[in-house]
Amino acid sequence: MGAVPETTAEGSATDSVGSWARALDLDELWEGEMTAVTVGATSVLLVNVDGQVRAYVNRCPHQEWALDEGDLDGRTLTCSRHLWEFDVLSGEGINPDNCRLTGLDCRVEDGAVLVRAG
Amino acid sequence: MRRERIVLVGAGRAAAAAAATLRREGFDGDLVVVGDEPHPPYRRPPLSKAWDGAAPCVDDLLVRDAEWYGTNAVELITGTRAVALDCASRQLTLADGARLGYDRLLLATGGRPRRLPGVRGDRIHHLRTVADAAALREQLAGDGPLVVLGGGFLGCEVAAAARASGVEVTIVEMAPTLLSRAVSPELGELFAALHRSRGVTVLTGERVDSVVQAGDQVVVRTCAQVLECAALLVAIGISRSTELLSGTPVACDDGVLVDEFAATSVPGVYAAGDVAAAHHPRYGRRVRVEHDDNAVRQATVAARNMLGARDVYDDPHWFWSDQFEHNLQMVGSPEGHDRSVVRGSPGEGAFSVFHLRGDRLVSVLAFDRGRDVVTGRKLVAAGATVAAEQLEDDAVDLRRLLRRQGGRPS
Repeated sequence: MGAVPETTAEGSATDSVGSWARALDLDELWEGEMTAVTVGATSVLLVNVDGQVRAYVNRCPHQEWALDEGDLDGRTLTCSRHLWEFDVLSGEGINPDNCRLTGLDCRVEDGAVLVRAG
Repeated sequence: MRRERIVLVGAGRAAAAAAATLRREGFDGDLVVVGDEPHPPYRRPPLSKAWDGAAPCVDDLLVRDAEWYGTNAVELITGTRAVALDCASRQLTLADGARLGYDRLLLATGGRPRRLPGVRGDRIHHLRTVADAAALREQLAGDGPLVVLGGGFLGCEVAAAARASGVEVTIVEMAPTLLSRAVSPELGELFAALHRSRGVTVLTGERVDSVVQAGDQVVVRTCAQVLECAALLVAIGISRSTELLSGTPVACDDGVLVDEFAATSVPGVYAAGDVAAAHHPRYGRRVRVEHDDNAVRQATVAARNMLGARDVYDDPHWFWSDQFEHNLQMVGSPEGHDRSVVRGSPGEGAFSVFHLRGDRLVSVLAFDRGRDVVTGRKLVAAGATVAAEQLEDDAVDLRRLLRRQGGRPS
């Protein structure tokens, strides 16, 4: 099987447990959009920033509110509950800057978004 | 050349933000934070909210972990009050007698809860610090009832948290509605109805005549009745901690007076956070804001200006409150608005209220619709002109209204 580049968020805490699962067709995740899907027992946030797809646990690290109810503006995701901001390409917190999203392994293959979630 | 020193007085949210900003902006002199609590700066908002499980632990609330201060060469002096300030010689005296010279000083001493004069007792509580929160929680772990004096955000949040954990709770508020300083009477009524539906007794328009602790009971006499409780929380606002400044030339008036640059009347001395009474260019008047986000943003501006920038602090102010499972957020100030537009369905739960002056959006209030505030905040900050019909049309994406501002001359 050929090596497929993984688009894991650089530097983010990654949960590598679990097997790859088809999460969504890529054409259902437009550029500049985000959506939440359930993979196994995990609510997964998928984001598409200019064609770069990332997957995170769909819970704000602050108080675990669902992130897909927030707002995605460019590469900045704002949680709607207390307005914590994150860079969705790196997973790093912007405000506050000492937190991060929980990244999940993610790759695009044959028009499908694959995610490895526990 | 002598190393410069910046001292931040008050080890709260504002000081932590200023310290981080100063280092990020390249300040490489001595940086000292002095605070009277025994902890590094921590987040206070959770202290009044959801009481799930054990009492709050300061380690879970720290703005930066303890190692951050060492890594960033920030000297953190905790458990030590600053007791005297000499602006002429630029020296701060600490309670232990130590003297700290400074080149620039940030006053971020915050405030302390207002007390009922002459009322004492171990069942009379106030809430500002993690120690206060632990004491209240410990006393209520046995049994209630709890009486909360003051139906502002702090009182309502504690009432909700205590009630949700099974405690019998009564709120006593002098004003005719809850949250009357911050929101409309209609919204105050909505919160009163919410609290009542969960079993909180809400007494509005009731003045308290006396409070006495007798043994393990607190007796609260209002103009209408006598309430007995195991604990009383007095949540009637804060006084700003300015006693350090008496006898100094730093101008104060219910807070440290600062201009739009967060500078006080004394060169080299700045103030930010709850203690500051700032000239606000957006509102054309002095404002005193007691919210976490303001402390962070104002201190960030102050820190940059301490390093020679001339940033204006004109943030429209944003805050949130969590009560039961509900979330209220507000940005801007509705003062002077001449029109309100509702988005969503107030009868069914989630809704937002947009306040306009002419066609300019001045404030957004969201009940369980925080998303409207994410964009609303940007619209308010941009001084956006918007059509009321579009705001109330749920099909119109607010972000589209924001993009439209791009071509507008400002």
